[in-house]
Amino acid sequence: MTTTPDLIETLVASATPVRRLRPPLVRAGLWLLFAAFLLGLIGIALGLRSDIFECVRQPRFVVAMLGALATGILAALASFRVSLPDGSRRWLLLPLPALALWVSTIGYGCLTDWISIGPQGVRSGEAVRCFATLLLTSVPLWIALLVMLRHAARLRPTEVSLMGGLAVAAFTSCALSLFHDLDASVMILIWNLGSAAALAAFSVVFGRPMFAWAAARLTPPQDRPASAP
Amino acid sequence: MYVTPVRHDLVGRRGITAEPETRSMSPSRQNPSTPPLTLVASSATGRNAGSDWSKLMARAQDGDREAYRELLERMTPYLRSLAGRCFRQPADVEDAVQDVLLTVHLVRHAYDPARPFGPWLAAIANRRIIDRLRRDTRRRTREVALSTDHETFADSATNLHKDAVDEAALGQAIERLPPDQRQTITMLKLNEMSLKEAAAASGRSIPALKVATHRAIKSLRRLLTPRGDPP
Repeated sequence: MTTTPDLIETLVASATPVRRLRPPLVRAGLWLLFAAFLLGLIGIALGLRSDIFECVRQPRFVVAMLGALATGILAALASFRVSLPDGSRRWLLLPLPALALWVSTIGYGCLTDWISIGPQGVRSGEAVRCFATLLLTSVPLWIALLVMLRHAARLRPTEVSLMGGLAVAAFTSCALSLFHDLDASVMILIWNLGSAAALAAFSVVFGRPMFAWAAARLTPPQDRPASAP
Repeated sequence: MYVTPVRHDLVGRRGITAEPETRSMSPSRQNPSTPPLTLVASSATGRNAGSDWSKLMARAQDGDREAYRELLERMTPYLRSLAGRCFRQPADVEDAVQDVLLTVHLVRHAYDPARPFGPWLAAIANRRIIDRLRRDTRRRTREVALSTDHETFADSATNLHKDAVDEAALGQAIERLPPDQRQTITMLKLNEMSLKEAAAASGRSIPALKVATHRAIKSLRRLLTPRGDPP
């Protein structure tokens, strides 16, 4: 067994100069830039939905989009704040108002549409393309977040992954709304809320092992002491 | 007891119970008499120790190994006092201290020298200690620690703790022997004297000692065999 003085010697011996993390606001901004870049790329590849100009005139669509965007931005900021050891946990509450707005718009839309359209609203042809967009958006965003927040592995993996998952889910939902004409109420419910809930749940369940994995792979070898307790 | 003067200079801008999880940790599960985990240090070495630690950490981030060593050595007693509130076994306390030191090493790039060092370190220590407490609790629910009393195996030779019982019974049996037999057994078997030495010491002949030994062992066998069992 390693004694504490021995461990200190090992740590001192492996203490190389480190680059300090930039402020959380700047890092969150970088991730948001990456998200915007990714959405732009997918938009160029897939093209906007055909009825985008009609949608923009509907207040419900605009409010839902703004709600999702605000949720994504605030959740990203919260996850970068909470990932720091001395970041207050109150930051976890930051995206809640935007989330409430977003969820309530979708829920209200579904309710009214369900009454007018009925259960025939499910279409399967669009589902496959939706799934491709879902993966193309969420996987790179989630990996980028995992790499940028890997220092949270031993601190608050669950809280950070919950916020990260929420941010990724919100941006994915934006992508789905922009690039696919999901007018049928049930489809909107499944794709927007369903994918968001699934991503958030996935993040909470697998966040801890995934952060641990990322931290172990991405820590430089000279920084890794040989004897970890 | 680990209560030591409160280091207001270490507390920084956060206040003394630094984190909400600090309060939710409930060290009373471990030791009901311990106070809540608060930010205190075990060695008060000057008013501006907090900013000293902050400067040392900033130098350590730039690769100054001496500063890093000084920082780690100075924070160790403080971490030990924090861990001592939640763990009883000294080995567990040291494990927790080492865990925190290692975590500080791995996330040292996340420290901003413009912010106070005390809350930063206390938050890391709290997170790691809570994690270890949770893990210990989970382990206790599905594992049972073996003490020496549980080390019972089929081979009687491995049950070493029974020797003490046997020894006491043998000593009592020897006390109950007739005086000449008791003296012979004591000299020849317990004190491991030779027949010649015993003969010289007791003034009895060697054949007499042999006969007394034989009778004594026979008596002991009778005394130590439980009633009803064949000898």
